[in-house]
Amino acid sequence: MALVKNTEVKYDHYFDRKTKRHTINDIQSVLHCHHYTSLYTQLAIDAGETDLLKECARESFRTILDTYFAANPDIDTLKAKVEIGCQYFALIGLGKMVVNFLGTESGEVMLLSSHTDDGWKKKWGKYDKPVNFISAGYIEAMFESVLNLPAMSFRAEESQSLVMGSEASKFKVTRR
Amino acid sequence: MAIDRKQIIDQMSQIQILPDDNGVIEGYNVLITQFPTTFWNAFAERLTSKVSEDILQPTEYLLYNAAHECGYHTGYGIITSDEWNAVVKPMIEKAPEDILYGAYAVFTAWGWADSEIVELVPGEKMVVRAYDYYESDIVDYGASRKMSAYMIAGVSAAFMELGYAGEYDPQGKPIGTFQCKQTKGIECGDSYAEFVVTKAS
Repeated sequence: MALVKNTEVKYDHYFDRKTKRHTINDIQSVLHCHHYTSLYTQLAIDAGETDLLKECARESFRTILDTYFAANPDIDTLKAKVEIGCQYFALIGLGKMVVNFLGTESGEVMLLSSHTDDGWKKKWGKYDKPVNFISAGYIEAMFESVLNLPAMSFRAEESQSLVMGSEASKFKVTRR
Repeated sequence: MAIDRKQIIDQMSQIQILPDDNGVIEGYNVLITQFPTTFWNAFAERLTSKVSEDILQPTEYLLYNAAHECGYHTGYGIITSDEWNAVVKPMIEKAPEDILYGAYAVFTAWGWADSEIVELVPGEKMVVRAYDYYESDIVDYGASRKMSAYMIAGVSAAFMELGYAGEYDPQGKPIGTFQCKQTKGIECGDSYAEFVVTKAS
């Protein structure tokens, strides 16, 4: 009988009573709300700095995924790493991600729900352009991490968006 | 019973924040994320360190304002939550002052900053000190000339509004009734950060 191994992301939460700081899976983390996310995103749009927002997301999320995979060497297949990547996306509250396909040259990712889009709509209603630069950064980081490729190997662009009224967001991933 | 800061921090820091089946975390009347602190610090610091001097202040204001709005709505969610009612509410003898003291214990428990009120003039002024906070992590060596705890400052103004600017308004109309100025910062070489909240001019 084949052994079926379920891949499930761990949630190892620790509160340091001396510094009063939280870590999740050894990464220092902090709680914030959709008002904060929406206003940072709006600021990035107004300042013409959406690439900066995506860059900061890509770097921070690359660290959490690389740290996780290094601490859990049993996650050793691409399929398992992608599953963990999607589950980690949910664990930090970013939403529900489905990877349609992923390769070293390209990929496509769907979001069936999204903190950034849901939060934006809750705060301001629909918008006429995509706003999810944070998730785009996460997707770029996930592709780099699971394929063990250098930073800035991919570009994720949102081509369909929940905040614009679509049933799901779609990200096209291309190799830089 | 007076506000027992240690007990609040001990209990409120252990609440597990987990997503629903849609990967969304709902709680305290808001949608919540638990991102690495590096993400928030990186964006705020890279943005403010690259803009020209003439637009630094408006840029900093927008970062402060993000926290101000966040603090107003999330703060209200916190002080009306089941967890608050179970842990903090039984300790409140004098409102809204005890609510504010309790709110900073929760502020600390959430990992925003190890912070407390050191002076409170009801309806007029509040001074907050922070002894450890992630926003100071932008400096690894030496001291910055720029106070960078935009989040603590914004949330502190918001908490004062929750205490002294009338009933909570879901549209956030009272936001801006109070203002907060950071006067000391660990990132600037001080041993703690200090924030002074006063009525907006």
